Amino acid sequence: MRVVIGEDLFLLRDGLVRLLEAHGFEIAAAVGSAPELLTALTELKPDVGIVDVRMPPSHTDDGLRVAIEARQIVPGLPILVLSQYVEQLYARELLADRAGGVGYLLKDRVFSDAAFASAVRDVAAGGTVVDPEVIARLIARRARSGPLAALTPREREVIALMAEGRSNAAIAARLFVTEKAVSKHAAGIFARLGLAPSDDDNRRVLAVLAYLHS
Amino acid sequence: MTKSGSLSVTGYLKLLRANWPGLLLPLVAAGTLGLFGNPLPQLMVILALLFAVLVPKESAKIAPFALLAYGAYGFFVLHALLIWEMQPVLYGFVHASRGAYPGWHTSGPLGLVLTEAVAFMAAGIGLLARPGAPGGGAVRRAVAELRGTGGEPRTVPPLLLIPVIFLWEELFGQQLWFGRQGGFGLESWPQVIAVLVYAGGVAVVVWLPRAAAGLAVAGTVALGLCGVLWLWGVVGGVHWLWANGFSVRLGTDPYSTLFYGAVPLDGGITEPFAAVQAVALLGVGCVLAPRLLTWGADAELAERARALAQRVDGLTTSRSDATETAVAELRRIERDLHDGAQARMVAVGMSLRAAEQLMIANPDAALALVVEARETSSRAIADLRDLVRGIYPPVLADRGLAEAVRNLALDTVLDVDVDVDLPAEPPMPVAAAVYFAVAETLNNAVLHAEASTVKISMKHTDGQLRTRVTDDGRGGADTSRGTGLAGVERRLATFDGTLEVSSPAGGPTIVAIEVPCALSSVKTFSS
Repeated sequence: MRVVIGEDLFLLRDGLVRLLEAHGFEIAAAVGSAPELLTALTELKPDVGIVDVRMPPSHTDDGLRVAIEARQIVPGLPILVLSQYVEQLYARELLADRAGGVGYLLKDRVFSDAAFASAVRDVAAGGTVVDPEVIARLIARRARSGPLAALTPREREVIALMAEGRSNAAIAARLFVTEKAVSKHAAGIFARLGLAPSDDDNRRVLAVLAYLHS
Repeated sequence: MTKSGSLSVTGYLKLLRANWPGLLLPLVAAGTLGLFGNPLPQLMVILALLFAVLVPKESAKIAPFALLAYGAYGFFVLHALLIWEMQPVLYGFVHASRGAYPGWHTSGPLGLVLTEAVAFMAAGIGLLARPGAPGGGAVRRAVAELRGTGGEPRTVPPLLLIPVIFLWEELFGQQLWFGRQGGFGLESWPQVIAVLVYAGGVAVVVWLPRAAAGLAVAGTVALGLCGVLWLWGVVGGVHWLWANGFSVRLGTDPYSTLFYGAVPLDGGITEPFAAVQAVALLGVGCVLAPRLLTWGADAELAERARALAQRVDGLTTSRSDATETAVAELRRIERDLHDGAQARMVAVGMSLRAAEQLMIANPDAALALVVEARETSSRAIADLRDLVRGIYPPVLADRGLAEAVRNLALDTVLDVDVDVDLPAEPPMPVAAAVYFAVAETLNNAVLHAEASTVKISMKHTDGQLRTRVTDDGRGGADTSRGTGLAGVERRLATFDGTLEVSSPAGGPTIVAIEVPCALSSVKTFSS
């Protein structure tokens, strides 16, 4: 699996390269500035791009803007955005095209390297992975209003974990229930959100997007 | 015993000597003896004597004003004798009567009454004008105002208009205006005019003090000129016309009631008094006239100086507040770092050191320590993240105020409707102050207002960044409670910004934040 990395701090870039190589990823390019990153993403068309929000030249949200632009040029290009902070506004902008294949995680999630590697694979496969911190704040908000107000508390827990990019098995382990029970909850969520039975993965993405956008 | 007794007697005498004007009080009281036939004046003399002896300080304070009042009473006596044919009275050392000395009736005792009245008033003023005189503060202020050194002429120069009107009114005939019998009822239209003129004078004094001062000075000069002309025989003719024209037509008694200042206008021996008055009025007018210009200029300067002084006061306060806030903020950051990230990194180091030692002997324990170190470093990062958010929020740095406020709205549990219209960015410190003000307001809406929706509007008009946060909560917000908004207000004040809260019980709560600023810097991001 080919990866392009955009990270301006050498230590972190080097760390990411080594971590991903250790988990069997192939590093197509590792660059340190926004213009280089845009070129690398659009020309190399990797399986997934890993992008830091704050990058030169302006040291503000250059990385994020490159990520959005690259996905406009190459629709559906899977990109995982990493940042020292997660902001609702940026999450919204990343998810705005509703195309899936998007991740938005705090940088320190890299510490759990296995979970991080699986998140990278999920994004590459078209999944949506959003940091638990974003989810936690969304839950506080969604519990009050919106289309998801119809969900039971349990279903809300399940969809929050789905949005974090967890599989049914992982959700079952986390909630101390059987995988079958999780499937049942997922079916309930899809029904309540009016998502017709089709490819399960696609419905998962749509449910998560509905959840994040509501 | 005797020693202390003699000491206190000396002390008392000293006190009495220092407050000698107080002893004038019984004398003034004695002056009222001849006025009434009942025992009241005697009682007053006894009381005044007791007062002067027992409370010399207070007596010294009152005495000048008593002299002034007694002097003013002399003028009243004079007029009363001439106009209303009052019974003869004893005024000061003079037995004042109109009819008692035929042929003298306007020169002898009445001239003495006038002299006495002037002398009593002069004595009162003299006592008050002494440096450090008790009760002299008002007089010194008046003198300062008249000399143009007391700032804008707010009291004495405008108030001069009232006596000037009185003097002019005398010149045209008091009876003409106040009625033949000296009554104060509105018996004819000249009386109505008189009342209107006085009311107008008072209105000018109150609402247009500078115009009043100008009129007073002009009136004084004109009165002086009239006196001089009269002495030359010019005004006599004018006056004769007045007396034989208007007053006759109005059915009043010509001549007998017309005065120039304190002097009856019927010729004869009073002319020297009239001359003194004319010169005095002209002199006062000429001295005050040039002051009119400086009064105006002084007033403007004083106004500007006052505004500047106020501004300096405000700036001093807001600057010291800003400095204090900045220091407190640094203190908080230092403490947060010390107790948070710094302490956690120490723990990480210690865990790693222990893991290093256990690596060979007990790999499992070493592994557990490494895991612990990793978790601790995660918490350190989370601490740092929170800290940085409180210093300068990343979205504000990345995108500017409008986007940062939108992000705040997304982060709030309530439904927040954001309407921000900013063509460019305010200066960074202003943006940060407004951002934290909005954040604090939203926080209050969540915690206290039981609101469900919030509206934030922000626009820049007339050089002001205007922000308005409205929630549909229960209202009744107490702005004095809690330090959150007070801190926000102080921070805004550094930029002359204000925060106003309107929160009637039952809602809605409206917080209006206004900061004067220019939108200069170009947005860093164009989406």
